[in-house]
Amino acid sequence: MEDRTFSDIEGGKIIVQERLFSKTCKEFNIICPKMSVRSVVTATFTAWVAAYAMYAYTENNMVLSATTVSTIIGLLFYLHFVKIDQESLLLIGSLGIQMTLTYTSGKESTEFIEMHKIKDVVINEAIFMQKAIYYLCILLEDPSEPKRISSIVPLFQSAKPNLNCLVQVYNSCQEILSERKSFNLVD
Amino acid sequence: MDSHHIQSMVDRSEEGHRTCFSTTTCFTDECLHHAANRTHSICMVSDFFYPNMGGVESHIYQLSQCLIERGHKVIIVTHAYGDRKGIRYLTNGLKVYYLPLKVMYNQSTATTLLHSFPLLRYIFVRERVTIVHSHSSFSAMAHDALFHAKTLRLHTVFTDHSLFGFADVSSVLTNKLLTVSLCDTTHIICVSYTSKENTVLRAALDPKIVSVIPNAVDPTDFTPDPHRAKENKITIVVVSRLVYRKGIDLLGGIIPEMCQKYPDLHFIIGGEGPKRIIIEEVRERYQLHDRVQLKGALEHQEVRDVLVQGDIFLNMSLTEAFCMAIVEAASCGLQVVSTRVGGIPEVLPEDYIILCEPSVKSLCGGLEKAIKNMKSGKLPSPDAIHRAVRPFYTWRDVAERSEKVYDWVSLQTVLPMNKRLDRLITHCGVVTGCIFAFFVVVSYIFLMFLRWTTPDSVIDIAVNATGPGGAWSRQYPPKKRLKN
Repeated sequence: MEDRTFSDIEGGKIIVQERLFSKTCKEFNIICPKMSVRSVVTATFTAWVAAYAMYAYTENNMVLSATTVSTIIGLLFYLHFVKIDQESLLLIGSLGIQMTLTYTSGKESTEFIEMHKIKDVVINEAIFMQKAIYYLCILLEDPSEPKRISSIVPLFQSAKPNLNCLVQVYNSCQEILSERKSFNLVD
Repeated sequence: MDSHHIQSMVDRSEEGHRTCFSTTTCFTDECLHHAANRTHSICMVSDFFYPNMGGVESHIYQLSQCLIERGHKVIIVTHAYGDRKGIRYLTNGLKVYYLPLKVMYNQSTATTLLHSFPLLRYIFVRERVTIVHSHSSFSAMAHDALFHAKTLRLHTVFTDHSLFGFADVSSVLTNKLLTVSLCDTTHIICVSYTSKENTVLRAALDPKIVSVIPNAVDPTDFTPDPHRAKENKITIVVVSRLVYRKGIDLLGGIIPEMCQKYPDLHFIIGGEGPKRIIIEEVRERYQLHDRVQLKGALEHQEVRDVLVQGDIFLNMSLTEAFCMAIVEAASCGLQVVSTRVGGIPEVLPEDYIILCEPSVKSLCGGLEKAIKNMKSGKLPSPDAIHRAVRPFYTWRDVAERSEKVYDWVSLQTVLPMNKRLDRLITHCGVVTGCIFAFFVVVSYIFLMFLRWTTPDSVIDIAVNATGPGGAWSRQYPPKKRLKN
């Protein structure tokens, strides 16, 4: 197990943990930066300044209570559904690939793709917002036509690591996938 | 005669360069030699690219392919066409960015001078672009890219593909825009001497920074048909868009007159457009359904098959910067009859073209001369014409000449901010100059902001597909294709 620091496409720091279980089983954890106190304070401060301005204008204290409630609900919603702390990718050569998202609240969502559905793992380029970025994705095979790709599953969507990091993960994925192929051939 | 003509053309262009650049002390042999072994990272920008079809599109594609072959790195930036968006690779690792920008009119994007800046800057930085080469004055994106490239202090080249008038409101406006856009561009390329003259006048440019590099045709696409049976009829082919600019109204007068005179004369007309109705009317009135064939819109690959069915190619353009169609027709071994307008007289030597004034009478005279030549049997065979025309305009030659322009451009210094503002205000009139100078300052502040939010060091360097150490060329060494 080793920890390495990379940067994401915006220049923020992310930590990549690589855990090797066996030759064909590997896990990558990408840990995004924690939510900073500064951003929470800024957000609440802005909301409250706006609320007090409204209150001064309308002189109705319902505005203030509504702001309290909505700030709290907004924060909970953000922590539970939006802010992702950790993204992990578990590669098992004989089974498949499992992707886990861990939200700040502790909620986890997991997706598993069986090996026989996976055609390949590649690094692709895309235009995202006002940027052209690289991302890692899994190509899924079309069950009816094995030559074609039915869909693309992008990985590390919230962390958005930069190319150096992607190449690292990509190489490990390819090692395991090539193991699988040679295994299939022997079979 | 042929080789002599080419020689004279080359001489002319070289002479042009020499007189042009002697004062700036560049473009001389030593200077170029100094820059000779350099490779450039070129970004072609235009609103017009495949899947849209046309002259500019094929120009960009062919030029890029030949530049890749010469070891340069080339990328193309255009706007998204329907489903085709994002980043794609074409033959030999030519990378194309289809940017999600809104299309306003006639496949051209809107220009606000600022909205495309973040994305274009990101692409220029990640691809380590050194020269931005914009195409077509109708493309707003090309002008935007020039503007941004100058803010980023990159070298800029602009290719103008069309001729404009000076009188009507729309051309007055475009000319003003062109003046602003080109006054601080490092170098400009035109497709013919006529086009150069036109551009220099329209944009009030210094002729020293304008070069002429003609278009080219792919001669393997346009070959005569060796199996064509000898018939005892004469066929005249017209392939062009059926619009006013192409002189279709003249055709309406030519058809009945020629058909009356020569009972064995047939017309084949390829292309589509608003003036189709004129031809249909003529056909109706004179009962020429069996002798005038309308083929409708043609795909690029169908053009050759239509051309080889004829003996004489007729071009009636009223204005033309450089006529590709007549080169294609001559390459197919046809006799060419054309109007003497714009850059057309420069295109082919006199042996292969009959030039007329743009009037029905003169064109009919030209056609009669062509028919007489044909009946006398003194004409060279289509194969001989093809072989003679083939080396006139090749993309390799275009690429070689463009490369010289890039070499020269890369030795120039890009105007710094204060000089650029000066240039704008002194060249474009006080009002326009000041407005655009204001935009220059705003875009500079915007650039500072962008550099603060995403510094250049954060942007990933893109993997080179082409150029030195390109991933693509390493894997598949460029094959020597036999194009000529």
